[in-house]
Amino acid sequence: METFELLLHGFSVALQPTNLMWALVGSVLGTAIGILPGIGPALTIALLLPVTTALAPTSAFIMFAGILYGAMYGGSTTSILLNTPGEAGSMMTALEGNKMARAGRGAAALATAAIGSFVAGTIATLALTFAAPAVAELAFYFKPTDYFAITALAFCSVAVVMGTSRTRGFVSLFLGIAIGVIGIDSMTGQPRLTFGNMQLLRGIALTVVLVSLFAVGEILYVASRYRTTPGVMAPIKGQLWMTKQDFARSWKPWLRGTAIGFPMGALPGSGSEIPTMLSYTLERKLTKHPEEFGKGAIEGVAGPEAANNAAAAGILVPLLTLGLPTSATAAVLLAAFQNYGLQPGPFLFTSNPALIWGLIASLYVGNVMLLVLNLPLVGIWVQLLRIPRPQLYAGILVFAMIGVWGLAGSWMDLTIMLVVGLAGYVMRVYDFPIAPVLIGLILGPMAETQLRTALAAGQGNPMVLVSTPLSAVLITLAVLLLALPILLKRLRANA
Amino acid sequence: MSTDERNTTEGGSPAAAPASPKPYWIGIGLMVMGAVWLYAGFGLPQGARYAAVGPGLFVTVAGAGLLVLGAILVLQISRGETFEAQDAEDADGSTKMDKRAFLTALVAVALPIGTMGPLGMPFTATLSFVLVANAFGSRRWWLDLVYGLILACAAWFLFKQLGLQLGRFFPPLGV
Repeated sequence: METFELLLHGFSVALQPTNLMWALVGSVLGTAIGILPGIGPALTIALLLPVTTALAPTSAFIMFAGILYGAMYGGSTTSILLNTPGEAGSMMTALEGNKMARAGRGAAALATAAIGSFVAGTIATLALTFAAPAVAELAFYFKPTDYFAITALAFCSVAVVMGTSRTRGFVSLFLGIAIGVIGIDSMTGQPRLTFGNMQLLRGIALTVVLVSLFAVGEILYVASRYRTTPGVMAPIKGQLWMTKQDFARSWKPWLRGTAIGFPMGALPGSGSEIPTMLSYTLERKLTKHPEEFGKGAIEGVAGPEAANNAAAAGILVPLLTLGLPTSATAAVLLAAFQNYGLQPGPFLFTSNPALIWGLIASLYVGNVMLLVLNLPLVGIWVQLLRIPRPQLYAGILVFAMIGVWGLAGSWMDLTIMLVVGLAGYVMRVYDFPIAPVLIGLILGPMAETQLRTALAAGQGNPMVLVSTPLSAVLITLAVLLLALPILLKRLRANA
Repeated sequence: MSTDERNTTEGGSPAAAPASPKPYWIGIGLMVMGAVWLYAGFGLPQGARYAAVGPGLFVTVAGAGLLVLGAILVLQISRGETFEAQDAEDADGSTKMDKRAFLTALVAVALPIGTMGPLGMPFTATLSFVLVANAFGSRRWWLDLVYGLILACAAWFLFKQLGLQLGRFFPPLGV
């Protein structure tokens, strides 16, 4: 019952005209960047972080949530019409969706994606509404030991799951951790790895690293391997939206996709790629029309699109209740909280309920906005793709530069932008995953604080790290995650 | 239910991969970075007075991790680990690198380090805009100059309004 009251209060915050406007701004921006290549939700929010100085936290987070959800809606449009999945999460949508579009059923594919996103987004937000307070309640009892175990498990799963090999996943993660220790040690005030440089004392900001990796790295990479032949856009003019049969074939995949996406999104490392892949595989197994798969089956669009959006809501559960980011976008959102001097976690639910519940309520509002923005207006959105690529990428660099320079007006940040941007280029050429760097960068210092607090409380005995049941289980899981694939390989080789 | 069909529909890269690169330098670079962090970590107190762990431990762990991972990477490369460039929305991982375009874009990224302070953000952004557009094959630089200038000025005023410290508009003239 209490949750309902809080949610109602949240709606009274989210439905204030200014907050409605910020939700709309976020939704429009999110849809736009979901459609545009070269720029995703994480990068957009990072570039908008400086506005946190001028905006109330509730308004800012309502806008950011609109961007997060909107990008999921917008991403499907390019996958379906152009066969160019913007993010990993829309890869599966492109498989069947583009086939449908080429067969003259693009409008139906877009409709099942948008309505599926709405259904999944709303159900997942509902799940978030009830799961988040419950998890936060539990998290009240967590000790530093437990928090350290959670971050350790998050590190392992991020490194193992993301990327082509475990070595490369861990390389990315450790690069992030290594960058994270630069600057003044928060517990003793000792400068670390600053090489006597005053500007490095405050550490390297997540924004700088994120903008460099995602924007600069991408610009350098695409410039070096630019595909000049543009995709052919499938026409949708004058086509029918969904037929009765389309609905009948879509609603179950929507629900199944939601059921897969939401919990998977809450787990570290799975991002939106794995739930969409799982949903696609499942729909392919369950379909009554197996002959259509690979040729444009509507289930193959409905399921993954729902999973995609549900996962976006899922990442908010660990972020809001534990302060644990599970994806690049979540890492930036955490940085935004830190900009305001807020630490997401159980205490935020009690100390700042207007923010938390306003944000959750705005997700419901945002979903309705996005459905209205996307379904009838898709024809306008695709016009964005007419922006010529040279000027688009040039513009992205301009905004990246502003984002980095605007932080502190420091040439050191610009130098870091060049170096990390080059690293981002190399990571793309040699296929290293990028998100673990950001997770390591933002979670590393948190893990360190928890570890040192836990050890200090345990008077230096390392056994304190597994002294609570939860921490023991989580650390065991982390070790298993590392060791199991190796063991299985050995066993198979021996058999 | 076989997965091979999925592989063929995914992306458009041809199956015949070019000779796999042997990027030993990445592994060695990681080891060097690890050594630097390790050295710095040992120079810091590992244990503080009351806490068991001091500011040095995590630095040491990060350094040791990078050192070991670099070594593993070198070993994997020598055993023939393959590295395929990622596909992006507008990039084809299997094509050859366009060195001129890459270097032009790189200059655009490096330029702000020298010009952002003395010449201001709008000027720098305009120049970088023209360079990146050129790297992506735009040949009408005077038009890009106009586009870039409009975008840079608009962004400067907008973000200034939002409270960002972007410095003066054009410092040489003192405005």
